[in-house]
Amino acid sequence: MLEDRLLLWKFKRGSRDAFRAIYEKYAGNMLTLAGNLLDDKVGAEDIVQDVFIKLVESVGTFRLTGSLKSYLATCVANRSRDCIRRRIRQRTAMTKQAEKTPAETKSTVHLAICSEQLRKLSNALTELPYEQREAIALRIHGNLGFRQIAELQNVSTKTVQSRYRYGLDKLRSTLNGEVEK
Amino acid sequence: MRPTENIEKLIEKLRYKTSTETHDRVLGNVLQALDEKEKQKPGVIKPDIWRTIMNSKITKLATAAAIIVAVLVSFHYLGGSASTVYADVVERLQKARTLLYTVTTTTPIEGMPDMEMEVAFKEPGYMRMTLPGGYVSVMDCMQGKALSIIPERKQFIEMEMSNLPADAGQREFNVIERLRTLPERADEALGDREIDGRMVQGYRVTEEGVTNTVWIDPKTRELVEVETEFDNAPGMSRTMANFKFDVELADSLFDLAPPDGYTRVGLQVDASEANEQDLVEYLRLWSTWTKDGTFPPTLNPVAMAKVAMEMQKEGKFRDGQTSEQDRLQHMMKLTRGVTFVMKLPAESNWRYAGENVKYGDSQTPIFWYKPEGSVTYHIIYGDLSVKNVSPENLPQ
Repeated sequence: MLEDRLLLWKFKRGSRDAFRAIYEKYAGNMLTLAGNLLDDKVGAEDIVQDVFIKLVESVGTFRLTGSLKSYLATCVANRSRDCIRRRIRQRTAMTKQAEKTPAETKSTVHLAICSEQLRKLSNALTELPYEQREAIALRIHGNLGFRQIAELQNVSTKTVQSRYRYGLDKLRSTLNGEVEK
Repeated sequence: MRPTENIEKLIEKLRYKTSTETHDRVLGNVLQALDEKEKQKPGVIKPDIWRTIMNSKITKLATAAAIIVAVLVSFHYLGGSASTVYADVVERLQKARTLLYTVTTTTPIEGMPDMEMEVAFKEPGYMRMTLPGGYVSVMDCMQGKALSIIPERKQFIEMEMSNLPADAGQREFNVIERLRTLPERADEALGDREIDGRMVQGYRVTEEGVTNTVWIDPKTRELVEVETEFDNAPGMSRTMANFKFDVELADSLFDLAPPDGYTRVGLQVDASEANEQDLVEYLRLWSTWTKDGTFPPTLNPVAMAKVAMEMQKEGKFRDGQTSEQDRLQHMMKLTRGVTFVMKLPAESNWRYAGENVKYGDSQTPIFWYKPEGSVTYHIIYGDLSVKNVSPENLPQ
């Protein structure tokens, strides 16, 4: 965390290397987070790019109050929600098939380990209600605490903990071949 | 059934990656955005603060106040006592007869570039501040006099300071006295970094809502850079750098004689500590500026500048001409009022609720805080009366 503050400090003073170091350190994590939040790999890549561009644009006024990773994860989560809202709106105008196919075929983003079990898990995660998926992804890939996720989702910490637990239960059930509720 | 932790570990393995080409392309796009940002970034400010004040419409008053408050408050907060760890730095500063350094003030106000000035101190109590464009202010803290030169208007402001503290002669030097002791109370060691080819050690001190980041050259024991940030003014910062000790400075640099051919604008400056009455005066003044007689929406100096710009666009301020003299006096009132709030410690639990309240509303509390050492709170109402109340009777 101290290293991040120092990198940000240098970046604020115009150090391109410091910004590159921040990007190299967190771009992969954020891509994973966005990839797990969205069922759209190209969208995940765009979101990561947008979040870092936003960081560049706001560097003059940016003040870190927590960890940089949490900040970036929150930005990714917010943009992912926007992306999903847009997608829902678009679905009224086009078929799901027509919407998804081009994006998937153009994507260069993929799961780092492609075992059958992980593919199954990835698909199961996609099928979870968004709030549960978000709680799980932010907790595990964004390293956010339940309280931070609760603030983001505008619900109580207990609700987030329940969403997290229900989500994990469903994933476990799916992987074990059990009938979901 | 799998244990929960196994599921979590599996999910952790759901990591995405992209091709090197895509990674490079995205990084390239982001770096391009960085380049464009650099091109758009306004340069170091050229006009001086006094020009801003002299041209002041209310928005500019608010903006200028934001900067002035940053300067004043950061001076105020650079407090502390001697340190053994940095004894060499302390000794050098104590022995210094003159000192030069630069100050860069950055605000998050849109369109407001960084403001840079050079500062010179000379014993026993002289100070000179120089800004790009030939704008100069000279202070003689012993006499309580100051002179600001505005070349483009061929004007000079002659200031007489009243209510100076008893140790006025040492007051400005206290900034340096206090500055050198900061590392002793550092909350956090930041390790090493390079500044202009020098490896320096960093220390961070957070106190009373102000964070100072101090960089010292461990070899020479010299102070290299100090950055100050304020909780009450997020996004605003001050960086002091380029410290030079015992440079020969001619007395003429601190001469209070105005240049020939310049016209005089006199100004009385109250140099005492800002107090509650200053806030009341500021609130009263603001309510005379607005068409509907309401108080400012915020007391945060940075937000205030932005809000004032928006209000100006929306035509919420009264029209009317004021003399330069009045504008300067307004500036002083505004600065003192905001400074009082900025200096209130967190323990004072101050709250402001004056947005949309009109002057004269005796029933509505607009500001309350607990004065230092008091068990009761002071509440300022919309008619600007002040009452003492116990904590259980505070507004909800």
